[in-house]
Amino acid sequence: MSKDTGQKRVAIMVGAGYVPGINAVVAGASLAASNLGWELVGILDGFEGVLHPEKYPSGGLIDINPKLLNMDPNTSSVLGQSSRMDPFNVRTINKDEMVEEVDMSDELMKRLKEKKIDAVISIVGGKGLSILYQLHKKGLNAVCVPRSIENEIASTSVSFGFNTALTFTIDMLDRARLAAKAAHKIAVVEVQGGEAGWIALQAGIAVAADAVLIPEIPVDLQHVATHLKKKMAGKKSWGLVVVAQGAKIINQKKKEEKVSSLKASLSPLATGDSNSEYVIHKSGQAAQAVAEGLQLRIAEETFPMVIGPWVRGGSPSAVDRQLGVTYGAGAIEALKAGGNGVMVAFVPPDIKFVPLAEAINKVRTIPAGSMFLQVADSLSIYVGNKEA
Amino acid sequence: MTNQTNNILDIKGRVLNIQRYCSHDGPGIRTNVFIKGCSLRCKWCGNPESIRLKPEVSYDPKKCEGKKCSICLKKPFPEGAFYFVEGDDSKVKVNWQLAADTTEEMVSLCPTGALEMFGKTMTVGEVMEEVEKDASIYRSSGGGMTISGGEVMLQPDFAAALLQEAHNRGINTAIETACNAPWANLEKVLPHVDTMLHDIKLMNSERHKKWTGVGNERILANFKKAYETFPDIDFIARTPLIPGVNCDDEHILGVLEFIKPHKNVIDYELLPYHRFGLGKYESLGVVYELDDYKTPSDEVVKRFQAMIDKAFGRTTEEK
Repeated sequence: MSKDTGQKRVAIMVGAGYVPGINAVVAGASLAASNLGWELVGILDGFEGVLHPEKYPSGGLIDINPKLLNMDPNTSSVLGQSSRMDPFNVRTINKDEMVEEVDMSDELMKRLKEKKIDAVISIVGGKGLSILYQLHKKGLNAVCVPRSIENEIASTSVSFGFNTALTFTIDMLDRARLAAKAAHKIAVVEVQGGEAGWIALQAGIAVAADAVLIPEIPVDLQHVATHLKKKMAGKKSWGLVVVAQGAKIINQKKKEEKVSSLKASLSPLATGDSNSEYVIHKSGQAAQAVAEGLQLRIAEETFPMVIGPWVRGGSPSAVDRQLGVTYGAGAIEALKAGGNGVMVAFVPPDIKFVPLAEAINKVRTIPAGSMFLQVADSLSIYVGNKEA
Repeated sequence: MTNQTNNILDIKGRVLNIQRYCSHDGPGIRTNVFIKGCSLRCKWCGNPESIRLKPEVSYDPKKCEGKKCSICLKKPFPEGAFYFVEGDDSKVKVNWQLAADTTEEMVSLCPTGALEMFGKTMTVGEVMEEVEKDASIYRSSGGGMTISGGEVMLQPDFAAALLQEAHNRGINTAIETACNAPWANLEKVLPHVDTMLHDIKLMNSERHKKWTGVGNERILANFKKAYETFPDIDFIARTPLIPGVNCDDEHILGVLEFIKPHKNVIDYELLPYHRFGLGKYESLGVVYELDDYKTPSDEVVKRFQAMIDKAFGRTTEEK
């Protein structure tokens, strides 16, 4: 990469899915940019600030300066709300007042050029990476900062946001365990993790849960129930089951949805499908389904709890604060080094710049032979890899 | 979508599916023609594959043979659209962002049918060929053809041609619509309709906008104008009942008040919300926005039905 020390005007924005500590990334980028004499501006609400500037008194862009580094980490993101807007599919109401999705990527590129933006730093998760990759292929000078609660972006060892989510989840599981102990019941706690079960497994190990259900290993609730019965055969009168949002259940018939007698089908494809394996993958439903399923199989009472979106608020952990500042400054370093179309990644022991083409589609799930699974097993945590 | 043509049979439209032996969308046994493209974005939509006008790829992992096949990881498929997760090559994963450029020709290369294309271009003649297969059943049951969606009024020339051709062949016609379209579109379609099933989703415009994407002023105005302009059509109002959205007395009474002055509105049907669409959202890589809503209870539905029956001057048993 050729080194570039010319003056630049760089924009920074955040994609869908808020995590605590976005401002740490902004602060890192701001300080590093300032030291180079570069200008840093923030795009409000994802790309909304560029595509719909009329919504904002500021015109959709805000000036960012290094003073932000002194701010309280509890303050909300200076970049506004995260936005699900995909510039290739922007929902609009057309001249006939009909809703449709239109490709506004060319318009976005044009407006960024008009605003004299030389490069965009984007704090994004998996889907956002793909959007930025597409924009980069259209000519956008883009650098991404990986942000994920699940830590499933495989091209970086740690995504920004994961450690905060893990820390909070462990704290909540400790509380759930106390609640379960007090009530002499089994707490079934749903945690984040639609594709990858890292939070569930690592937090489950931290609190020595009785079982951890992750998306990578489909489980039979009968086996979970048998394991719980064994563990609760002595004096223990309570239990703690951690369920990732995307946990897969096998050998359980789906609940039949009752169909209106007035109309059997609203759709050509609206048929009840009773496969032997199914993914729950809806906030709150994983805990509910597992709690109900277990209660049918054991004498003890279960109660579902959902951590869900609570992890998206509050302060960043110490790890995420330093990672955020590092990634933010790293993004500027990438641009300084002439990097374009890259993702800043922590590849121990160093920070690296990974081409977006290599960063997309790399999902880190828990491998079948993972030592984490063996560790869980050694702690008598059922993880669904064998009959209890 | 519609081509300029002199022959009604050659007019083209985008069709999602043709479903035979349907019994809930108009009188008798019917063939439903689902056309693609909708002008609303109802958060509870059970037919996500019908929403967008353009064809869309869908993926059913149950049919995928993974590494053994791998055809979608090579050209001509879009680069990066399909991939394997490290350590698991039993099924491909889809990068929905990049898979949007997948074409019907590419999908036809998938040997197991795991990849499918929603929406294909058909002529009126081709659709009618399928519809006419059950002509004798329509005659014996009093049924016919129903055009559903998506939104019928989004392809008015195609819909009008289909309905007209059905009439030409002596087939009864019905449409299912929410009427969020310019009146000019309705004017093309409605002269060829025997029964119009129309959704009244929310009477409050602000809330209608929140849940469907647009306000309801034009929709209600279209309904009213349709009732008055086309007295021979049998209109049947419908509400998809969603707890927390419109499953309340105020909505039911509001709809009854709206339709009752019009004698050609012959019924008001309730469609209790179900969650069958969920799996389809996953197969299209679309986020389902209405996460945790439940089906309305039987008691609530019965109570609303009794209100409707009373308004139509009949007992529940008669219905």
